[in-house]
Amino acid sequence: MSWLTVAVLVVAALYGVVALVHVVRDTIVDDRLLLTAVALELLLLAQVVVGVVLGLHTTRDFEAPVFYAYLGTLPLVPPFVTFLALKDKTRWAMGVVAGSAVVIAVFLARLTQMWTLNG
Amino acid sequence: MADLTPLPPDPVAPQGRPPGGRGFGIVLVALYALFALAATGRASYQLISEYSKAPVAYLLSALAAVIYLVATVALARDDRTSLRVARAAITVELVGVLVVGLLSYLAPSQFPDKTVWSHFGSGYGYVPLVLPVLGLLWLRRSRRP
Repeated sequence: MSWLTVAVLVVAALYGVVALVHVVRDTIVDDRLLLTAVALELLLLAQVVVGVVLGLHTTRDFEAPVFYAYLGTLPLVPPFVTFLALKDKTRWAMGVVAGSAVVIAVFLARLTQMWTLNG
Repeated sequence: MADLTPLPPDPVAPQGRPPGGRGFGIVLVALYALFALAATGRASYQLISEYSKAPVAYLLSALAAVIYLVATVALARDDRTSLRVARAAITVELVGVLVVGLLSYLAPSQFPDKTVWSHFGSGYGYVPLVLPVLGLLWLRRSRRP
């Protein structure tokens, strides 16, 4: 697992924790959550670039279409859930934000698995 | 210029829900969006690259994808007509997951490759089976007077 992927996972975990704090305290989106979301988004975009470049330059056998589909989906998640949390200022929406961190981690794990399985 | 008078109550806001939010409904929207994405990805890949391998399963994947997309948009829009559309889409979804789930056990030869609904959605933690039930319950609860 590359240091970039580790960094994405760490920031995703942080994002999840910050969102969970909001869920517990029943507070709405603040700068800290938004900045964490931006950091996560930038790392995810970097991960997409790295993933695509590596994918194009490898001879290994991996499920390319599914790999790229998962990879391309990841950066859509933080903006989508941020939008939901801004529109709907409830605990539920914040819970969705917290849940999205788990979804991102699962997708990353699956991507890593696909990448290393036949490598 | 800043106008600090409180806004009048939102005339569109439905009764019986906390102001400014729709509670569990937002979780449903997110879950449906996730499954719309998953099903669309799976279906387009299957239809484009290996259609002849299991046409029935792949067409069902595509149907599932369309239904999830419709349900997501309808739930997100949250107006009267949209909720009726959502109810229809989710009902079809429930029938779909039950029929496909059953058929994937009774006639496995027709389903050499998986769809989102195969084996009652076991590949997705049975969420495809639970989701329409939750959706219908939610729509029932949030029905307008």
